[in-house]
Formats: sequence, C-alpha cells, structure tokens
Amino acid sequence: MAEATIAELSARELVEAIREGDRASLQRLYALEARRLYGIALRIVRRPDMAADVVQDVFVQVWRNARTFAAERGDAQAWLTGITRYRALDVLRKRRREVLSDDPALGDTAEEPDVIERIEQAAAQSALRKCLDELAERERRCLVLAFVDGLSHSELAQRLGAPLGSVKSWVRRGLLLLRRCLEP
Amino acid sequence: MIPDDPEELNALAGEYVLGVLDGAQTSEIASALPNNAALRRAIIFWEERLHPLAALAPPVDPPAETWQRIAERIDSAEPAAMVLPFWNRAAPWRWAWAVSTALAACLALYIAFAPAARGPSFVAVLHPPQTEQAAWVATAGDNGLLVRAIATAAAPNDRDFELWAIAPNASRPQALGVIPPSGSLELGALPAVIRQGGTLAISIEPKGGSPTGQPTGPVVFSGPLVAAR
Repeated sequence: MAEATIAELSARELVEAIREGDRASLQRLYALEARRLYGIALRIVRRPDMAADVVQDVFVQVWRNARTFAAERGDAQAWLTGITRYRALDVLRKRRREVLSDDPALGDTAEEPDVIERIEQAAAQSALRKCLDELAERERRCLVLAFVDGLSHSELAQRLGAPLGSVKSWVRRGLLLLRRCLEP
Repeated sequence: MIPDDPEELNALAGEYVLGVLDGAQTSEIASALPNNAALRRAIIFWEERLHPLAALAPPVDPPAETWQRIAERIDSAEPAAMVLPFWNRAAPWRWAWAVSTALAACLALYIAFAPAARGPSFVAVLHPPQTEQAAWVATAGDNGLLVRAIATAAAPNDRDFELWAIAPNASRPQALGVIPPSGSLELGALPAVIRQGGTLAISIEPKGGSPTGQPTGPVVFSGPLVAAR
C-alpha cells in the first residue's frame, strides 16, 4: 500500500491491512464504517448504550479476528454487517431472557413504511430487490423484519398477528424462493 | 442436527443469518461451522446477498467516546497473534482466533463457581469462534482445574471433546484430557503448563482423544485464562 494513502483504501483493503496488525487501518475502518454499523445495531437492540457496546465489541473482534476474514468471502462490508448483527442479536437474546417483556423499548413498533420502496432507494441495482419483489408480501415482511429489526419467530408472529407455525413456514418459503431467484 | 440435504442446509443457514433461531440452535450452528464447509458457504451466501437490506437501518453517529474505548480495550489485551503464533499456520486452528475477553462474564461465573476456601487464581470462559456466547467455564488454581459445560454440550457422534492448554509464548498445545460425556472435567492439581496463565482450547478428536498428542480436529471452543485475583 505504498502509494495509496490510507484514506483511499476500501473496507476490504483495510481489513487486509488490519490482518497484518496495522492499527491505523483499524481506526480508518472505524471512521468509515462506525456510523453504518451503529445504525444497524441500534435498530436491533434499540438502546444507545447497548448499541455502543456492540460497536465496541465488533471492532475489538475485527482487530483480533481479521484473519478469519477468509478467502472464501468477497465482501468485507457484508462481513462487518454480519459480525454486528450477530453481536446485536446475542445482546437482544440475553435481554429478552432478563427483562421478558417489561422493557417498554421492546414494545415499540418500528415504523414500517413500504418496504419495497425503501429497498429500492437503498439498493436500486440489487438483484435482491427484484427477487424480494417476487415474494408474497407476508414472506417479504418476515425476512425484512427479521434481518433489519432482529425479530425472532415469535415476535414476527406477534407483529403480523399470525400463528407461530405459519410465520415459520413463511420464513422458510421466503428463503427457498429467494435462494432460487438469487442463484446464478 | 445440521442437515446434509442442500436445500435444508440453505434454509437453516438463511434462518441463522436472519437471526430467527433461538440461542441453542444458534450455538449449535456456530460450533458446527469450523467443521462444515458447506454450512460456511451457505451462510456466506446469505450474508452477502441479504447485506443490502442492512441499508434500511439509517446510519447514526455512535457516542463520541466509542473509539477511545475500543483503543483502550485493544491496548489492554494481549493480541491473540502473539500468544498463539502457530495457530495461524495449521488450518483447523484458524477458527480459534475468536478468543474473547468477556471479562464481565468471567467475573460473574467466577463468583458462581468459586469454591469457598482457597479460590482459583484463573478463570476462563470458552467460546465458539465467531460468537462470544459462553459455552464452557474453567477455573484453575491451587485446587486444580475444573472445566464445565455451561449449556448441554455433546461432541459429534463417535467423537470426543479434548481439552488443551497453551502456555503463554508456547508453540504447541498440551493435552489436558478428554472431557467425559457429563461435560465436566476435573484435574486434582494445577497443570504446570498453565501456572502462568495461557489459553484453554477444546477440539473435536476421535474417541479416546487425539492419537498424535496434538490436536487433529478443529478447535471448537477457546478462551484465555484471566487472573482472578
């Protein structure tokens, strides 16, 4: 990376430098990705203090585990998104066990405008948009609410006012159809 | 059970990535990952394809002190790379890089498990790679070493879990013993190899333990020994 300044590196190049123990690259990656990852965590855990802890854990984990960013992966941003979501979901599971439904924040209904329209803004060129468009609305809503808001099967059932069994099969069917549509 | 059927495997991987599975199912998948390339591929497929949906969560500025906290945590912990230089070379060990510092969990568990009299001087919380969900807890000290599964943990069919210790700066792990199906292993004396701390790791081995004296299967849980007092 002799010629490129560190500010010009992509997330992937930064992860590769972090792998070699380059601390400045970690800080640069933080500057580049922290707002996005904090937003993802906040949407799932719904509490700023917990979301900040998640982001801390993510970057500490990236520092230690950059080596597990294996050759079988292409997309460093997707890797970071994954680490953030799994960590946030862990925190959420723990909190569900501890507070059950007493926490008022858990009762919040996240705003849920037209999903397809928003995906269109977020990922206009994406094959995902086209494929989600082909799903039945209830399948699409299950997948999006689970991925973005971290809702579990039973929370999906509650949100959609549907039996748990139906929700489980909508998630499965949605995934199967999506996979068929997305596979090259 | 992780299914072999590709369609079932893909659906399960999708559910894992979505996050709809419960804690036990999630842990099961996390511990199967090191050993199952098809599962890893299926998960990466979903992580990369569903990733654009993450843009539905609007970016928000994290609290100002967040980077400072990260820097402090990195400085205070010994980098895994220095403790375990050889893990990098042996492929199955690569998954063991997820050594976590769940200090709060350590302390809570230490209180829960510490004998009343002469307490252990080290505790360790062992995690699967890629998640910080505690799976085993170990206490070590004058009374010996005790390792226990926190949740029910079973080795795959016809396999055993084997416990290993890696002393600080050591280049090779030392076998501490095969963990009985009860999920609890107790040694009466503190193994010399970890008298100064180090790392504990659990690998999957043939019944009865590794035939070579070194890990032959993947490391599925690991964690640093932290001085408890």
